[in-house]
Amino acid sequence: MPNFKLSRRDFLKASGASLFLAGIPLQGYTEDKPPGNISVIILEGGMDGLTAVPPFGDPNLVAMRESIMSDKYLKLNSFFGLHSRLKTLSSLMAIDNASIVHATAFPYKKRSHFEGQDFMEGGGLSPFSQKTGWLGRSLELAKIPGSALSLNMPLILRGYSENDTYFPASIRHSTSLNASLIDAISKVHSKAGSDIFKKIRNKSRLTLGNKPRDPVSLAEYAGKAIAQKNGPVASVIRIPLFDSHAHQDYKDPHSALNHGRNLEKFDQVLAAYKKGLGDAWDNSIILTLTEFGRTVKVNGSWGTDHGFASAGILAGGLISKARVIADWPGLSNSEQFEGRDLMSTIDYRSVCAACIERALGLDHDLIASEVFFESKLPRIFDEIFS
Amino acid sequence: MNEHFRIAQKLGLMFRPEEPLPKDIEAWALKQLYSPSPAIGIDGVESEPTSWPKSLRPNLEERARMRALYMDSDKKSKLGIDGEETAKALEIRHRKYLMRKKDELKYVHRNIYGSDQLRLRLMSFWTNHFTIGYGHDYEQAIGHAIDEAILANINTSFSSMLYSITTHPGMLNYLDNTHNAGPNSEYVKRMKKEGKQAGLNDNLGRELLELHTLSPSANYTETDIRNTALVLTGWGGEMNEYTLNKRIKKEGKANDWIVYDQFRSEPGNKTILGKTIYPGKNGLRQLTDFLALNEHTIMHLSRKLAEHFVSDVPKKTDVDFIANAWRQNKGDLNKIHTAVIEKAISSKEEKFQWPMTWLFQLLRLSEATYIEGWTNLKLPSRYLMKTGDIFEELGQSFWSIRQPNGYSSKKEDWMSSEMFERRVRFADAVWQSGKPKQTPAMIMDRIGANKSTRNLVSRWGTQQSQFVALMCSPELMGLENA
Repeated sequence: MPNFKLSRRDFLKASGASLFLAGIPLQGYTEDKPPGNISVIILEGGMDGLTAVPPFGDPNLVAMRESIMSDKYLKLNSFFGLHSRLKTLSSLMAIDNASIVHATAFPYKKRSHFEGQDFMEGGGLSPFSQKTGWLGRSLELAKIPGSALSLNMPLILRGYSENDTYFPASIRHSTSLNASLIDAISKVHSKAGSDIFKKIRNKSRLTLGNKPRDPVSLAEYAGKAIAQKNGPVASVIRIPLFDSHAHQDYKDPHSALNHGRNLEKFDQVLAAYKKGLGDAWDNSIILTLTEFGRTVKVNGSWGTDHGFASAGILAGGLISKARVIADWPGLSNSEQFEGRDLMSTIDYRSVCAACIERALGLDHDLIASEVFFESKLPRIFDEIFS
Repeated sequence: MNEHFRIAQKLGLMFRPEEPLPKDIEAWALKQLYSPSPAIGIDGVESEPTSWPKSLRPNLEERARMRALYMDSDKKSKLGIDGEETAKALEIRHRKYLMRKKDELKYVHRNIYGSDQLRLRLMSFWTNHFTIGYGHDYEQAIGHAIDEAILANINTSFSSMLYSITTHPGMLNYLDNTHNAGPNSEYVKRMKKEGKQAGLNDNLGRELLELHTLSPSANYTETDIRNTALVLTGWGGEMNEYTLNKRIKKEGKANDWIVYDQFRSEPGNKTILGKTIYPGKNGLRQLTDFLALNEHTIMHLSRKLAEHFVSDVPKKTDVDFIANAWRQNKGDLNKIHTAVIEKAISSKEEKFQWPMTWLFQLLRLSEATYIEGWTNLKLPSRYLMKTGDIFEELGQSFWSIRQPNGYSSKKEDWMSSEMFERRVRFADAVWQSGKPKQTPAMIMDRIGANKSTRNLVSRWGTQQSQFVALMCSPELMGLENA
């Protein structure tokens, strides 16, 4: 991935960020809403858990990556700290509304962005094995079909049917849509195309207006939408540029691939969600997702290369006690995965399953078998939510 | 659709109204491979197409020099010097020195006015395969890479194209190889002595194997990736004044982009998938030649070509046919592309078209004036949408920030109501502001529209509705009819 150096203005214009809102109840849908709502923040490119949540109690940390370590971090306990730019997260942990899971990963070990991203969104047993995503399947199990707010349909939200996308267009000279014309077009298309044209006509009328499409503005918008009566129960936001092969947390804090800068962006997204959600925060769970962590050792250019385990960040009013959940594997050469990466000791699918169970009120065994196709997936609900 | 337009849709960009239809369409398609054309465009909205002016087609050295002037002016503005901090100065700085808008417009013009439609489709396929996502550091280089590393290699071999794009400054910057240095190189030894960080960066090495050639099916190891990164050490070259002047001083010129620095390169042999690669500048060409003819590369890319030009779900026999041409002709792109053309024609299956391909086809068929001329680079039209905005709203651009795996050719990745609504809206907008010279009836006659399309279009009283219906019909979108 590139070494961007964009000004903030450029970033707003072309951030590549996108928002997906899903599970907006269709009209006439009368069943009770699930107990909570669930939002996923995808940290695209491979977030470095050792930078976000440094295990300063591990003597090998400094030895392995002194040149990119910041000596300023926020202390969480006697072993773990938080990156100094994660101020919102820190304050949420102080009021017991956020937790960390560390040394955790989806069981994907081959370090490819594209296989890894497919795996973490699809939630199948291997990359490219699923045409649907784990959140889409969960929403279907909870019987909450609806819309996703996006230009394209992200894999994570694809269900077997019933999902839809919406993202306001800004095309000059395009007047209102002629409903009967679109009806007629839908009739000549075969099933798949026809269904889509029907949705253009029927889609919900959420409007984003001319708001900037940067992740922070999108998060606040998503929060507000979720807080509405009959609003969506799920949202997904992508924050790109975590692939810090060079200068990841060093010298130039404005470099677009600076990990600290992008963690701060994530922190602002978290704050924007909270602001947008308002009282609905109490029923919310927000979790991060990243395709892999990064190498323990620094590479030749003050960066880190593709690794295995990372950290997951959970926030929202549904968290009632702040903790760092980890079975720490250690950082010495022999403790690393294949002599280079942080080892994973917690299957992150179990974390996702616990969040689905809490927010959508589904049974763990059902989630394990129908969402992740892994009936023996360990349940760690109590470790996170008790 | 008649055979002429069926083939022009799958493999080209559609015949413009003034273009005579060839007698033998298959022969035409094969001949297109060898019919290059200069970049064609328009200076103003209503102008006749002509060649792009030389001043808007700078070489790499001129591009680097403009970037240096841009950075200089940017620096002055940050220091508040010479009125360079004003909004007007900023606009001038962007317009004069940066290439993105010029290159974007040239790409669009070529696709709308060019007679080399089949070559242009191949150009877009390979540009997407070798994605260089947008970055401020190297936006000067993207358009150059499309012209000089991709299009200039359409009639060479896959190996030559692979080597050209891998060594292009756009790619070397995008995938961080400018930071890659051999752990045992003189450069790293010196840096270490001074207590500074320097060494390996495997970003380009990994994607060279995973995306550009073998694909994960080859089951290469992390050691293979590391050794590939080692072969790539020494290859770099940032587009800044310092590098430029250094090269001009050393070599007397800077326009040849093959920049190799022995000082940063890793000494010693490297082994990749059992193949020994020798140290030095020639090692990379040895590696790209090896990868270009590896069986996994052949199968990976034969399938990708078939998915783009033949069918969303190509038959195994079609993929094998392309792969055989690759194998037997040692990666000769003319032979590979010939095989693709033959299979795209013989397979009667429809092929879903990318949003931007669809828009180019629509503009060619209808003779609409929807795109600015190059004089608008100085004075934007108050009426027409800017080219960059069109791409953004279409959801597809070779100048957007994106991941190195590029855009999918499969319809399932583009089938959403939002993407389809964009088609309805763009068709509508083209009709309203582009004032097509061809009516829907004239277009249907020329392409030989099928019965289902004619029924759909003819029931509407206004040409505007007819136009939207025609362009969003399954036939024009490359989808099957109900």
